[in-house]
Amino acid sequence: MDRFLDAVFLGLSSGAIYALVALSLVVVFRASGHLNFAAGEMGTLSAFIAWAFYDAGVPLVIAALLGMAFGALLGGATEVAIVRPLEKKSPLAVFVALIALFLGINALTTGIWGAPPAEEIGNLFPNDPEDFWRIGGGVWRDRDIGALVVTLVITGLLFFLFQRTRFGLAMRGVASNAESARLVGVPTSRVLIGSWAIAGAIGAIAAILVAGNQGQVTPIIMVTIFVYGSAAATLGGLDSPGGAVIGGLLIGIIENLAAEFSKDWVGQEMKLGVALLVIFVVLLVKPSGLFGTAKVERV
Amino acid sequence: MTPRQSRLLAALAATSLLLAACSRGPEEGEEVDTTDGGTATTSADAGAAPTTTAETETTEASEDTAVETTTADTEGGETTEGGGGGGAEWTVSTDDCIDPDLANSPIEGTVSIGSSMPLSGGVAATAFGPVAEGFRAYIEYANEQGLLPEHEVSLNIGDDQYDAAQTPNVVNGLLDSGVNLFSGIIGTPNNDAVRAVLNEECVPQILALTGSPAWGEVADYPWTTGGLIPYNIEAEAYAQHIAEQFPDGATAALFTVANEFGEVYRTAFEAAAEEAGIEIVDAQTIEAADSAPPSAQLNSIAGNQPDVIMAVPLGAQCPTFMSELANAKAVQSGWDPQVYITNTCASPLILAVAGEAANGLITSASAGLQDVTNPEVAAADPDVQAYIDYMTNRGNADILSTATAGWNIGEVTVEILRQAAESPDGLTQASIINASRNFDYHPLLTREGVDYKMAGEEDAFYAEDIQIVQYDAATGFFTDIGDLITSFRSS
Amino acid sequence: MLKLNEGSPGHWVIRIIWVAAVVAALVYIPTKTNTSTIGDIATATQLAIAAMSLNLLLGYSGVISIGHSAFFGIGGYTTAILVSEYGWTQGWTIYVAAALAFVVGCIVSLPALRLKGVYLALVTLALAVLFPTLVRWGKLAWLTNGAQGISGIGYEQTPTWYNDHFARWQFINESISLPELRGREGRAIFLYWVGILILAVCYLVCRGIVKSRVGRSLIAIRDNETAAAVMGISRAKTKALVFGTSAAMCAVGGCLYAIQSTLAEPNLRFFTLLGSITFLLIMVLGGAATLWGPIVGAFAYVILDTRTRQAGESGEGVIGWLFGWMTGSPATLVLAIVLLIIVFVAPFGIVGLLKRIAAKFIVIIPRPAGTAPLPVSALEEPAVAGSPI
Repeated sequence: MDRFLDAVFLGLSSGAIYALVALSLVVVFRASGHLNFAAGEMGTLSAFIAWAFYDAGVPLVIAALLGMAFGALLGGATEVAIVRPLEKKSPLAVFVALIALFLGINALTTGIWGAPPAEEIGNLFPNDPEDFWRIGGGVWRDRDIGALVVTLVITGLLFFLFQRTRFGLAMRGVASNAESARLVGVPTSRVLIGSWAIAGAIGAIAAILVAGNQGQVTPIIMVTIFVYGSAAATLGGLDSPGGAVIGGLLIGIIENLAAEFSKDWVGQEMKLGVALLVIFVVLLVKPSGLFGTAKVERV
Repeated sequence: MTPRQSRLLAALAATSLLLAACSRGPEEGEEVDTTDGGTATTSADAGAAPTTTAETETTEASEDTAVETTTADTEGGETTEGGGGGGAEWTVSTDDCIDPDLANSPIEGTVSIGSSMPLSGGVAATAFGPVAEGFRAYIEYANEQGLLPEHEVSLNIGDDQYDAAQTPNVVNGLLDSGVNLFSGIIGTPNNDAVRAVLNEECVPQILALTGSPAWGEVADYPWTTGGLIPYNIEAEAYAQHIAEQFPDGATAALFTVANEFGEVYRTAFEAAAEEAGIEIVDAQTIEAADSAPPSAQLNSIAGNQPDVIMAVPLGAQCPTFMSELANAKAVQSGWDPQVYITNTCASPLILAVAGEAANGLITSASAGLQDVTNPEVAAADPDVQAYIDYMTNRGNADILSTATAGWNIGEVTVEILRQAAESPDGLTQASIINASRNFDYHPLLTREGVDYKMAGEEDAFYAEDIQIVQYDAATGFFTDIGDLITSFRSS
Repeated sequence: MLKLNEGSPGHWVIRIIWVAAVVAALVYIPTKTNTSTIGDIATATQLAIAAMSLNLLLGYSGVISIGHSAFFGIGGYTTAILVSEYGWTQGWTIYVAAALAFVVGCIVSLPALRLKGVYLALVTLALAVLFPTLVRWGKLAWLTNGAQGISGIGYEQTPTWYNDHFARWQFINESISLPELRGREGRAIFLYWVGILILAVCYLVCRGIVKSRVGRSLIAIRDNETAAAVMGISRAKTKALVFGTSAAMCAVGGCLYAIQSTLAEPNLRFFTLLGSITFLLIMVLGGAATLWGPIVGAFAYVILDTRTRQAGESGEGVIGWLFGWMTGSPATLVLAIVLLIIVFVAPFGIVGLLKRIAAKFIVIIPRPAGTAPLPVSALEEPAVAGSPI
């Protein structure tokens, strides 16, 4: 029983990170209709900026917030400078540009911060060996609970934003039908920038959490997590924020349970394979995911 | 061109391809589109003797993967008598070379050393960048001090981004620019990829910076030698040490990275553990690109409560593993396993991130090198102090510990060159490999008593002396445990 | 502005000039340049083959794939396994690899039937990430040797039939003859020619598909899938055929790559997602939806890669000044920047750019009836409002 609970707790905490990345992807997708391939790397760059502040003596929480601010800036800038001008040319151009951004930011972070010594960073939550809770026979670490709490808080904030504010209403309008929204007077441009900024900030906090778990910020922390995040967004539905969170948590739990209870076939090495299998199955069976809206094509 | 014509042409080309693609046996030719028009003969074979080239190179060995255990015995038991003193020295045969004259002709002026290291392309570069710097630093030092009389030494390190598919291109480029030997290529598959070519060309490939046992195949690949302690010796040393610490038998868990390096290590340790009576209760792996804390793996290991953990993580995974282990220990109170970790993690730069959690882990001194960041060591050994001064002057004070590997390789290379130059044949490619295989030298940065020895076919590895050390997190130094183990020497 | 009718003598002169230039370049490389350049160009042909396969899919079917590294890897590993485990000759493995990849490609095209744009890209992303993971899987280690990879699969010598029968043939007089191919130079030259040959075959295959009924079906599907279905075009068969062919072509490139590298390993860059991305970038660099685009792109990429790596190491020139302070080589960063510039400035790639420049000087007036439609650059296609890609 405790191995089961251990796996579930681990799943919830890694799933929380996947959920954050998935949220970032979903927010962008709802606004612009594109998959932000560079989401993970933008988060990594923001984490390095947060580290730079932390290294200069700024308290970790403030540094994290500054990192998120940088992430928002980066996201907004990407929308204005790259996505909007290229959208007029073709969707493929945007995709290629985002991929180039993915490569470029990765190369940039490696080039600037790649050399030793390592960029050590603390964890936002208590991370000493004794900081854990025993729950029902399983063990749950403070930092893992913290990650889940952060995810839930951000989800809550987003929910509040979407459902209860004018800006959120505008975002929903643009997501539903951009042309009509513009005609009605919704400031589409601001909505787009805002969406990307929010996505950037979410990506940043995800990366900062990951870096905190490792104790250091390295250029590759978000590469695999991006894939998991995409799987989560696919499972939940690319245009459903709630789906993204549920998808993330589900994938985290499924992969850990699979690794724990099918050591022979899955084990630790094939955890990623489980997430990929999820992508395949979902896209084969129900491409719009658990909670996404299915596209109906009219002839 | 109509589609039908296109298809016909494609079919024709595909058929001719069928034959162009075969590479063995004389098949009577059909039409083949090879070279168009007449051209001058390639420059490749001016003056080459008309012996058929690689046919005589035994090829079955090249089909093997790198994990072939070697002829040179590592148990230390069966070294043939007659290795010491009398008897003919081992020499390489240059009859099967593509260009035997080139292999035997004296090298004038500048001796050009080539190498291929990951200088970019992600995490590997940052781990190995200091090694390249250390190597370069030593060569500069050697030129300044004139350590190789009548010759300048130049070093050309190509970047293969730790991708074994790029190493042949890098090596080709360096061969074209006329390097005389290769030294310190990093990565087991990287060295493996170019081993056949370099042996065919009779270019020495010395001091491969990996501990794979494959570099001991003297008969098949005489021009290739290794530079690090073979992983199987390292694993055996740890297994022996474990057996000593736990005379009633111990339980062990393995934690290895899922790549060539980790796999070879795991196989070696499993074999050594069986011999030493250690029971392996769990074996976990981690993906090479996975930098997240291995919580699940450690949960599993903790569940089995082994006495000992043998860890082989990669780069940044080293401190993450130690931190996570501390977490697992806190949960599983009463369990405090002794950690043995691969010596590629044995650097305070890498372990600093883990802080207190890394305290007490046992490893070995990589290549027998001393702990240069420890001021006591520097005070006791003027050579270490000289190294520190030179590197600091050069602006490399922040990578002192990791750069020793590169400096060491540079020193051994230059020493081999010096001995080759003093040999009766003078400095030739053949004499370089001959000198390297009849070698007995104490590198200045290594611990006292460490000798790099090779003796032809009996002893095909340099670094066979192991010093077990323990890490002290508070100071960041490694303290020696026990004496230098020289029982693994083959000669 | 020079106006020429298609098929006129002037047009033929231009064609002949082109062919002569290409042939001259092809022959120049193996004879006058050194071995590493030949090796690099051989690698460029392999990448060009992969990019061409991607182009087939993307440029003409509008299918975005970042999963072709998996097919490249299937090719490489098929060759590796057959050569090391069963002692096959390298050449024959190419056929098996192509067939295997064709089957896998057809299977993968099943979800492609129903998916568009982002969703399809996600499936291919998963495929690209899955391949190295699968290769490393413990359950498949008996086949792939797991993380250690398979080595020693390169050519040991160039074909004896060539050296015995064709080498040293003389043309006109003694100074012009076919060279003997020996050692590493010989292998490099051989792989170069094999690469060029296969590239030519792939080019013809692509051209054949584009100008044939299948090609027109593809364009119809791309432009309006529903209308195409109504017209009786079997989407399933067409898409499966194209996906399969694309996969097979890519696998062939992978075989050559493995033979040249003499090994196959799950961590090789071109067998991972990064490789897929590189193929995509090569295609865009050269010019998507043009037949010559991938070839030019691959050559440009290889040249860019080697030059920036050298410049990064030595710190010379503009690259050195801009990027010398960075850790390691700036090659990837430079590539990313170049890509971004291209996407903004010249979305039709190098070839598209050259065509447009050439169009200012020479115009070929096509024959009136029965000509195939000119390929439209996918990058210039206006986005359809409301639907993702």
